[in-house]
Amino acid sequence: MLGLRSIAGSRSTLQSLSRSNQFSFNSLRFFTIPFLPTLPQNPGGVKGDINDNLIPPKPNKLASSTHWKLEKVLAIGLIPLVSMSLIQGAGVGSLVDLGLSYTLLMHCYVGFQSCIIDYIPKRVYGHWHNRAMYLLTLGSLLSILGIYDMNFGEKNNGAVSLTSKLWTSKNDKVDEVNK
Amino acid sequence: MSSLLSKRISQITSNYSLLASKRFQSVAAPANVKTFKIYRWNPDTPEIKPKMQEYKVDMNKCGGMVLDALIKIKNEQDGTLTFRRSCREGICGSCAMNIDGRNTLACLCKIDAEKSSTIKIYPLPHTHVVKDLVPDLTQFYKQYKSIQPYLQRKEFPKDGTEILQSVEDRKKLDGLYECILCACCSTSCPSYWWNAEEYLGPAVLMQSYRWMIDSRDEAKEKRKEMLQNSMSVYRCHTILNCTKTCPKGLNPGKAIAEIKKTLAAA
Repeated sequence: MLGLRSIAGSRSTLQSLSRSNQFSFNSLRFFTIPFLPTLPQNPGGVKGDINDNLIPPKPNKLASSTHWKLEKVLAIGLIPLVSMSLIQGAGVGSLVDLGLSYTLLMHCYVGFQSCIIDYIPKRVYGHWHNRAMYLLTLGSLLSILGIYDMNFGEKNNGAVSLTSKLWTSKNDKVDEVNK
Repeated sequence: MSSLLSKRISQITSNYSLLASKRFQSVAAPANVKTFKIYRWNPDTPEIKPKMQEYKVDMNKCGGMVLDALIKIKNEQDGTLTFRRSCREGICGSCAMNIDGRNTLACLCKIDAEKSSTIKIYPLPHTHVVKDLVPDLTQFYKQYKSIQPYLQRKEFPKDGTEILQSVEDRKKLDGLYECILCACCSTSCPSYWWNAEEYLGPAVLMQSYRWMIDSRDEAKEKRKEMLQNSMSVYRCHTILNCTKTCPKGLNPGKAIAEIKKTLAAA
């Protein structure tokens, strides 16, 4: 019991120290985003007394196993889409083009979502976590419109042909102008 | 047969004489000094910042493992040096620390006596330090407790005998039950560094899987339910530092992948 008390005591001194401790590589300060305000944290991440039970978050399949399955489906689905576009180049069908664009968008959305959960957690940043998520969703919604325009806009011919233009030589461009 | 035996005996005796001569040489040989830079911080003097302290040890008069050197330093040079140790043979998991940038057990970490480079020793990364090389593992143990690491059944044999298990079922636990909970893997995981409050970490998840696939356990559904959230398991991004660093050669990364597969199948 005495041992437990002394550990708890040393933890409270650690808490008061963590701000001034520059050398220690477990100082939280190094791993926070400088311009975002943070909430106070429990020393060592320990909630409550050392004998209190750790309460796991409520089960939510949509955020866990279903989400994981979706991630895998998107990642595997990208393999044929990307390889078809690479092989056929600008001449790839518009359905494949559209499929590639939207699958890639969802893949990026899921990836950035994971980054936000990792690096801007609600536990540390509070409502800034939600704001980051809103920003991501807003950007993704705009991208949906952007991709639609990229495929069906008057001057545009899809993401693949847009990308393949990067490899068009100067002479081709001159020819186009001459025509 | 007898010639074989006599050959073997002469072999053994020659080995012994070789050993004896080596021992004799080591006493006479010039000092083979190795420098150890060790992280020091004392909670009694919190105004003094943590620092690296240098110790020199003559390797001719010291055992081959880092723990031998640490004990030698504590005995002969600096009694205030603080670290955890117990079994000195890699079965208790007390002496887990960061040696030359790798989380490992000091008792299993061989000192390279040939090189003249210094050995740097830190406590386990991203843990709160209690003193010197002693980390605070409260959260780690709480997380281990939360996965209920014990056999759960509705009925146990009434005559008090053991619950039988087939050889195949027992084999499933190999590579999982050997974990000594030294926390080397969990504290090497970047995801655990960021989110230790909510992510369970490789060591605890491997034990969770160990109880999930135990044929004698009947709480599989409950165990799976507990992990069905975005934090407990899914902060694992298959970085595999855990598998790389494990001083017992286990594979927590694979166990987590198996958990993800089990949860996805449900």
